[in-house]
Amino acid sequence: MSEIHTEPIVAWRLWHVRRHEDEHRLESFTWHHVSWPARRRFEARCPTHGEAAPVHGHECGIYAFRTRELAEDLLRRYTGIRQHYGRRYHELPPLRQGCPIALGRVSLWGRVIARQHGFRAQYAYPYELFLIGGDDGLARELRGLYAVDVSPS
Amino acid sequence: MEIGAPDTEREIEIVPLEEPVPVPAPAEAPVEEPVPS
Repeated sequence: MSEIHTEPIVAWRLWHVRRHEDEHRLESFTWHHVSWPARRRFEARCPTHGEAAPVHGHECGIYAFRTRELAEDLLRRYTGIRQHYGRRYHELPPLRQGCPIALGRVSLWGRVIARQHGFRAQYAYPYELFLIGGDDGLARELRGLYAVDVSPS
Repeated sequence: MEIGAPDTEREIEIVPLEEPVPVPAPAEAPVEEPVPS
């Protein structure tokens, strides 16, 4: 039997920010061209389990980390920057021009499967975004579209 | 994304009183200025 809560979990994740026709959208970091809708929840879908995602023993669901540091670690690995021996990077690496990324907090609810470092959820919506590699204009556009705080960094 | 070992999984059901999705503010009806007769 699962625990039942009424407050959404707020966790951390990454998104690509890509242009779709005449506007930019948040896109899944690991699934190409899966964009997050604005002003409505993003729902997990699985080719095997359909709307039952996330399912135990499978890898389906909407992913997020427990901490900002874990999401930043993924960003460093994605950009090919690794730790020096015994010395951590504290600065995020520069990104390729024109390929902005959003690091941010995300609300998770519905069925949520918790693991040591993060969650797989049924429903999600961005809570707050920090734009990496984007300018003030793009931050304004995403703020207007998703109706959440967006800070250029 | 790596979020830990599958054998540490536990399930939580979250039923928020209100979904955390922002809704657009309702459009305000234009207020007509009173015109002195």
